Amino acid sequence: MQNEWGHVRSGLDAFDLTGKRALVIGAASAAGAATALALGEAGADVTVSSITNDGDEIMAVKRVQQQLAKLGRRSSTVATDVTLGQGVQVMVRQVAKGLGGIDILVNAPDLFLGKSADATTDVEWNKVMQVNLTGTFHACRAVGKEMLKQATGGRIINVTSVLGERAIANAAAYCAAQAGVLNLTRALATEWGPHGITVNAIAQGWMQHSAAIGNPDPAANQTVRFVPMKRAGAADELGPLAVYLASDSCGYITGQVMFVDGGLTTHL
Amino acid sequence: MTPLLERFNLEGKVAIVTGAGRGLGRQMALALADAGADIVCAARTAEQVDRTAADIRTLGRRAISQPTDVRDSARCDALIRRAVDEYGKLDIMLSNAGIGDMRGANAELWDVNDDDWHDTLDVNLSSAFYCARAASKQMTGQGHGGTIINVASGTAMRAYPMSFGYGAAKAGVIALTKSLSAMLVKHNIRVNCIIPGFVTQGPARSEQEAIFTQTRGRYLPAQRLGYAWELGPLAIFLASDASAYVTGQGFIIDGGGLAGGLAPMGFAPDVAV
Repeated sequence: MQNEWGHVRSGLDAFDLTGKRALVIGAASAAGAATALALGEAGADVTVSSITNDGDEIMAVKRVQQQLAKLGRRSSTVATDVTLGQGVQVMVRQVAKGLGGIDILVNAPDLFLGKSADATTDVEWNKVMQVNLTGTFHACRAVGKEMLKQATGGRIINVTSVLGERAIANAAAYCAAQAGVLNLTRALATEWGPHGITVNAIAQGWMQHSAAIGNPDPAANQTVRFVPMKRAGAADELGPLAVYLASDSCGYITGQVMFVDGGLTTHL
Repeated sequence: MTPLLERFNLEGKVAIVTGAGRGLGRQMALALADAGADIVCAARTAEQVDRTAADIRTLGRRAISQPTDVRDSARCDALIRRAVDEYGKLDIMLSNAGIGDMRGANAELWDVNDDDWHDTLDVNLSSAFYCARAASKQMTGQGHGGTIINVASGTAMRAYPMSFGYGAAKAGVIALTKSLSAMLVKHNIRVNCIIPGFVTQGPARSEQEAIFTQTRGRYLPAQRLGYAWELGPLAIFLASDASAYVTGQGFIIDGGGLAGGLAPMGFAPDVAV
């Protein structure tokens, strides 16, 4: 569209990701898979990664990559253990070489722990922190380095949870870790903003795939009945927001947490 | 069109945009049109909304203009009726009309009179209520839901010393967005708001203005002010199925100002470990 600002990408062109190179870490999870496929559908070339070196998880990631290939996108699969910073660094360097650079990073590591605080062990606490928070930091650090080197800006999207902003009982470690991811998001946004790198978070509400939710059928589930929209969200309802955040049109949104939660966090 | 892109598509939708004569409202009206919607452009100044509507028609979409003073609820009711008379329905209500209330640096609070206070509340907050009330009744009658988008401001969260009521009114818009979303979710109407930070209304008209704009942005992570057109894609996202599971929320578009703001940009602690 041409207007007084010159030629601006508007209408549906604003969401086009053709030519963009994305890395999605945690693509075996429903949220990770949904965002990887959405970015692919919008035109990006996507490399998908596991968050552990577990064979089953890697197979699940491979299946996502096969769906990307069907969309006609350049795609590849890698594996990494997000809790090991050095390993993540090596993987990211490899991916940057393979894709020619990285423009978009999506972090979707997820390890939920439903346990009372007084019974949570050191090992359990550390595991939850390592996967959700430290894993996100490892990936942001490694990809951030690439983006700073490339000097062409970038987009980082952390897929998190409403439990980063609010709490429920029996999830102390997870709540703390997710809260950490939210403020890490803001901190990195402040630091990398001058380099044209935006860093934002999508906070999922009660989704059909949420580990904390139990049975997602609203007829059976008190928690879902508590959502104003009276239903759990579908994973593919995360994709369009990820695409918008990843786009060139979204350069002025950074350091923000966006809630995709059917109104869950907005009412008493 | 891919299924993903189809979610952003507004073809066949009818939108009303208030404050559409210039600045943010104009850009959002153009963007919604570019994404496929037919638009009713409303604002106080006929000349300006006529121009926005004409520009939309050159994009190949239908558009009309309706001069409207949104402080008057009867005018807001008439605006919704005009959209229905012209296009048969209403799908998207974008309440962007607003007015600033900046005082000079030497102004005191007691220099503000009752009319000033009421004006700020009426144009910025009441108007959003009036438009939402009329729009939601129409949408519910139609039976297939709709979206309402309000426009607040970062000053709702952090204050300006030279403004007395704008922040309060805009904070009201953020809370109104939540209560409207709670009340209207049963009618399948989603309500969200856009919270802009410092955004320029138009491109710089002189070298001086360009420099001034550049310097004002230096405190922000993005190192610049926003461009009004950048609100367009956000409006499309909120108006469309792309945001189907999003309601009652505020979307801050401010170059990162509200994420930090504790110290000037470039400040970082010196730490030796």
